[in-house]
Amino acid sequence: MAGIRIENVRKSYGAVTVLRDFNLDIADGEFVVFVGPSGCGKSTMLKILAGLEEASGGRVLIGERDVTDLAPGDRDIAMVFQNYALYPHLTVARNMGFGLKMRGMDRGEIDRRVSEAAKILAVDHLLDRRPKELSGGQRQRVALGRAIVREPQAFLMDEPLSNLDAKLRVHMRAEISALHKRLGVTTIYVTHDQIEAMTMADRIVIMRDGEIQQIADPDTMFARPENLFVAGFIGSPGMNFLLGNVTADERGARVSLFGQDVCLPVPLAAVPGIAGRPVILGLRPEHIGPAHGPVSFAVRPRLVESLGSEKYIYVDLPHENRGAPADAKGADDERRGDALIARLVDAGAVATGEPITLSFDPARLHVFDAETHRAIR
Amino acid sequence: MKLRSSRIALYLGVAATCAVLLFPIYWLLVTAISPPADLRSLPPRFWPDVPQWQVFSRIAEERPMLLWLTNSTLAALGSVALSMTVSVFAGYALSRFRVRGGQSLGLFILTAKMLPATLLVIPLFGIFRSVGLIGSLWSVVLAHATLIVPFTTWMLKGYFDTIPRELEQAAMVDGCSPLGALFRVILPVATPGLAATALYGFVLSWSDYAYARTFLTNAQQSWTANLGITTMKGEYVTDWNEISAAAVFVALPILVIYLFLERYLVGGLTAGAEK
Repeated sequence: MAGIRIENVRKSYGAVTVLRDFNLDIADGEFVVFVGPSGCGKSTMLKILAGLEEASGGRVLIGERDVTDLAPGDRDIAMVFQNYALYPHLTVARNMGFGLKMRGMDRGEIDRRVSEAAKILAVDHLLDRRPKELSGGQRQRVALGRAIVREPQAFLMDEPLSNLDAKLRVHMRAEISALHKRLGVTTIYVTHDQIEAMTMADRIVIMRDGEIQQIADPDTMFARPENLFVAGFIGSPGMNFLLGNVTADERGARVSLFGQDVCLPVPLAAVPGIAGRPVILGLRPEHIGPAHGPVSFAVRPRLVESLGSEKYIYVDLPHENRGAPADAKGADDERRGDALIARLVDAGAVATGEPITLSFDPARLHVFDAETHRAIR
Repeated sequence: MKLRSSRIALYLGVAATCAVLLFPIYWLLVTAISPPADLRSLPPRFWPDVPQWQVFSRIAEERPMLLWLTNSTLAALGSVALSMTVSVFAGYALSRFRVRGGQSLGLFILTAKMLPATLLVIPLFGIFRSVGLIGSLWSVVLAHATLIVPFTTWMLKGYFDTIPRELEQAAMVDGCSPLGALFRVILPVATPGLAATALYGFVLSWSDYAYARTFLTNAQQSWTANLGITTMKGEYVTDWNEISAAAVFVALPILVIYLFLERYLVGGLTAGAEK
């Protein structure tokens, strides 16, 4: 086991840059998740770590060893692929033992390690089968087993759960987390699913267009997003964005939301010259309540979705608060910019078109610069 | 009811296709074993009253059938071995590596496949004569390889395209070199595709007449079966029983190979559909 250091790694294909100055220190035994929309460079970075792609610049160190120019097999890492990449012509046992055989390990030791890993992953009854005779979940376990038997310095996982159905994904997510706790091997996990990132990671690296947007633990990522992209990407449903023009007086910075004067949770001294400028305000759906509160407003929902334990209430945004940039939304958020979503638990009877009062606490608002999209604190 | 009638129509279609495809083979056999008088009878007789099976033993004894078949086999095996060796690497490179001009190179190879054999026969003759290969079976092996390589390269490229890159990436992470990943993982996985491609190459070589006729005419010991059969046609008299029986001998190995490799062939041809 070892820590990993990534220094100024970049990658270009001709004139197209897919990775810019990537810097990251990963502690020994840490579980780091790279997350971001398709094409953000997360898989490319993982392949550079594995040695399957050559970096255009920068260094990669595993432990104290510079592995930048080493072949994949010499880096002492194991990788789990999105489509499992099990060797179809080999049995489960030989799939798992393949890497050890390549390293010239003796037959007895290979058998011992394979059988031990197979027991951990509950695939010991499948050792003589071939991959095509296995279910998706079993293949996933065998792919994990192939990584485990190697006892590598680090695991690299490239969207390993995305081919599984939703229920199995949740189950395997927990299994991978448990396995990481048990083995304590440094793990880098790539996904586009922010829920996987939030539930599994010690630290999350959010990427977009080849650049790191923020590195933080899941709670910090949720509570203190550095910019509009991170704010929109983390959370489900995604954060609501409202546009407002700042006015300032002796009580502080204020904007008009739902026709009401709302005090922003930003000290005026922190942002001199904010008065008169437009800002984007972020409000998480779960921070909107069903009753009277510090800022209350009466609305008629345009749509109510019930999930049983909670309801998603869609309401029209006032015209003056519309116009937050479309790219502020998360990758899979297709909401129009004219709606606000409230996530209500135990909301009672709420129906489309029927009046309801909603409220929020202005202290929960996230404030972003409308031009730079960076958080204002 | 509708389902049933469409099923009947499907079976009729399959039966009609099979009849069209199999009739020439059936007629070849009938021609071989019918008495000569039956061959010109109208209406034609679809099975002789007394099949003349002895025609097969007769030509086996009177003609060097075994030598011709051996030569054909050697030429086909040699050209297929040569072609597959080149095509495996070429097809893999075209499938996996992005190199400047790679696509143009691939298209150039395809263009070579479109050239008719008769167009290449003259320059090949010149080359083989200058290196003393005329009359040697090697001339046919090399000439057939020029026909087979473009096709097998493209067929294998298509097959390698269907194999996920992650397989060799996994092998490399597991400690293989790129070439090791090709031999230990990709080629075993590609066995159905290799078998289908090799068989197609074998058939291409086996069915050639033009090259054998050009390069081997003056060397009877090197005649392939197709060339040998044409010499059975006399100037004044032609024994169609014997020619047909010889043709049955030539067709038989291909049929047998198809029967044995059918499982691989279907797998090889439909691999792309299994994603």
